[in-house]
Amino acid sequence: MLVKVQSVANLGLQTIKVDIEINLANKGLPAFDIVGLADKAVAESKERVRTAMATSGIEFPAKKITVNMAPADVPKEGSMYDLPIAIGILSSVLEFAIPEKSLFLGELSFDGSLRHTKGAFLMALFAKEFGFENLYVPKDSANEAAAIKGIKVFPVENLVKLCKHLARQEKIEHVFYKHVVQEKSQTVEFDMKEVLGQEQAKRAMEIAAAGGHNIIMVGSPGSGKTMLARALPGILPPLNETESLEVTKIFSAAGNIPPGGSLITRRQFRAPHHTASLAGLVGGGSKPQPGEISLAHRGVLFLDEFNEFPRSIMEAMRQPLEDGYLTISRSKQRIQYPADFMLVASANPCPCGYAMHPKKPCTCGPNQIAKYQKRISGPILDRIDLHIAIMPVDTAAFADNQKNSEFLESSEKVRQRVMQARQRQEARFLSEDICSNSQMKNTHIKKYCKLSLEVEAILRQAAAKFNLSARSYMKMIKVSRTIADLDNSDEIQVPHMAEALQYSPRTYESA
Amino acid sequence: MEFGVIEVSDKNYPKALKEALKNLISSLGPKRLFYKGDIDLLLDEKNCLAVVGSRHLTRYGRQSTEQIITECAAAGITIVSGFMYGGDEAAHSACVKAGGKTIAVMPCGINLVHPPQQKDLYQKILDTGGLIISEYESNLQPQTWMYVQRDRIVAGLSKAVLVTEAALNSGSLITASYAKKYGRKIFALPGQITSEVSKGTLKLIKEGAEPVAEANDILSFYKVLLAQRSAKREVGVNQKTSITLEQKILDYLKREPMNADDLSRTLAVPVAQLGTTLSLMQLKGIIINESGKFYVS
Repeated sequence: MLVKVQSVANLGLQTIKVDIEINLANKGLPAFDIVGLADKAVAESKERVRTAMATSGIEFPAKKITVNMAPADVPKEGSMYDLPIAIGILSSVLEFAIPEKSLFLGELSFDGSLRHTKGAFLMALFAKEFGFENLYVPKDSANEAAAIKGIKVFPVENLVKLCKHLARQEKIEHVFYKHVVQEKSQTVEFDMKEVLGQEQAKRAMEIAAAGGHNIIMVGSPGSGKTMLARALPGILPPLNETESLEVTKIFSAAGNIPPGGSLITRRQFRAPHHTASLAGLVGGGSKPQPGEISLAHRGVLFLDEFNEFPRSIMEAMRQPLEDGYLTISRSKQRIQYPADFMLVASANPCPCGYAMHPKKPCTCGPNQIAKYQKRISGPILDRIDLHIAIMPVDTAAFADNQKNSEFLESSEKVRQRVMQARQRQEARFLSEDICSNSQMKNTHIKKYCKLSLEVEAILRQAAAKFNLSARSYMKMIKVSRTIADLDNSDEIQVPHMAEALQYSPRTYESA
Repeated sequence: MEFGVIEVSDKNYPKALKEALKNLISSLGPKRLFYKGDIDLLLDEKNCLAVVGSRHLTRYGRQSTEQIITECAAAGITIVSGFMYGGDEAAHSACVKAGGKTIAVMPCGINLVHPPQQKDLYQKILDTGGLIISEYESNLQPQTWMYVQRDRIVAGLSKAVLVTEAALNSGSLITASYAKKYGRKIFALPGQITSEVSKGTLKLIKEGAEPVAEANDILSFYKVLLAQRSAKREVGVNQKTSITLEQKILDYLKREPMNADDLSRTLAVPVAQLGTTLSLMQLKGIIINESGKFYVS
């Protein structure tokens, strides 16, 4: 007897349909085989299916069972095919029909229940696009799939319940999407109010958040670089609808959506350590997985101790920093992951760290410092819009003055301004495929950032004086556009451009 | 370019050095000196001023060195130093820039430029009629002990030593202690008591070194006095926009270099507005930004 069940395979963010054909033959010795480029995890599903059926009280048929996964030349991976294989076998044993226009996905547990499985959201997107109506997914993965409107998502608790549902004995109600507040780890660690002093750095953070600009902070250890970066998520605006779908797609592909999770609406803050591998950071592996830079899509990638990162990793980030995506090429496949992130980097000015410290002496020689600073290559620095020097704060002066903190702005207040600036940008770029100032290409700059003669004169003067590259020149225009947006101004005026110049790239030599 | 060797027995061998080292065991004195450049500079040792300073010279140290050395060099004093980066380099550069003669005493073989990144300065010293000397031949690499040995020549060659900035237990203080041993006059640049690299100079002053507040303090010792010094550059504020804030910023920066955060707090001006004014001032060339701090240029 031949049964057909449909499921999907994910190649990066691309989803294709997989037909699973299960044949139960009466002739031949009892056996269970899977064909169709199945990887180890899929092959092992035999044992999970066999045991789950046994513990569910269903006798495993003593027939020659062959499972074919088509198209046969696309590698299948993961544990998501447990459910479609099991349901195919069960339909022949218990004699119920497989519903039409339905997709199945889920990993089985030995006790017959279903575990949270990655890719449910991607499958739901595929179902919507290609006219599938019913989705059978594990209960824990149902909510994320239900985020896509227009399809029925059935939460499956265990095999027995699903069989009863399909045999029309006991109905499983399909779920309605419910947004859940995101996990605890995403709460903001610091409020901007807690950061004492550092007025200029805070302002730079605000500009960076408002325009999605890359930023680098250079300063001595303990001057508050990490704290400032960690306070950044608190002033970021939430993701809009399209952005949210993009980010959720990547998370679904990487299996990063928690059980019962929903759409990701908060901008991500990823802070990988500098010992991370190249594949872990920019994505890769023999079956290319999204890396940290893709998980930080539309969010923040914080690279602490930036010059400790290996050269290969820094240079690999050049293309995504410019284009907003990364293409991973393998001999058999080419996978594109979006990676439009805001880079926040922090670095020490020299190996000992105290070159810019007002009190502690620096023990490094000038060639040591030059060597250390050269670790961040010119092309990378050139792609960073805002450059700031962070001076350590005299904590004693602030500790006496507790009142001070009452006058400091809270993250929420800053966030309001940032959101307003973002709204201006969204309105401006309505007809374009970009949404923030940092994404502007030269054509956009020409169109949306008309400089008055006076402003252009200042920029030209600065370019000559501060030795700005052509790319930095453009970046200054983008930054000044964001400052003007924060100021609710339609035009870039002299003060906006002049302030932007404070954050222009410069070298950080010790005096 | 002139180059060669002079032996202790030569008439050109610096008298000051010979005299200085007379008290010490004779084997400690350099038996011969290798040189490049104008050896006649050594004949006029009464005219030599040794200038030494920390390798981690602060912005204040550099500015003061430039100011004092420029005038000394213009008055015809030969500046002797050790060619190390930081204080030594600042002294050599200032002297070369002012068109003066300078002697660099190398801690390594005469054919070596050390530190190598100062190749340009090395060439400039020779081009402006200066002198490079060393007691080591060919390409001998510098060792720690050779720096100390070099210091005794720097002190011995000069009539007086100016210590610009020095931490406690630093090489500059070693030079000063040699100078004391040889009976040389010691000048020290006073600095802030909180600065690590002013602790050594302040200690020298406490022990009797003469504090230097202007080039005249040194020139009067050399019996030269510049009648008229160049009028100090006055910074003109000509733009009418934000004249008050600019003036206020300038007033503070003249007293002490500050970063944007401090200025914003002191002046009670939001950083955004302050940044605008600072940029415009930078463009006008009134102030400069270095490592996050603003200085009057």
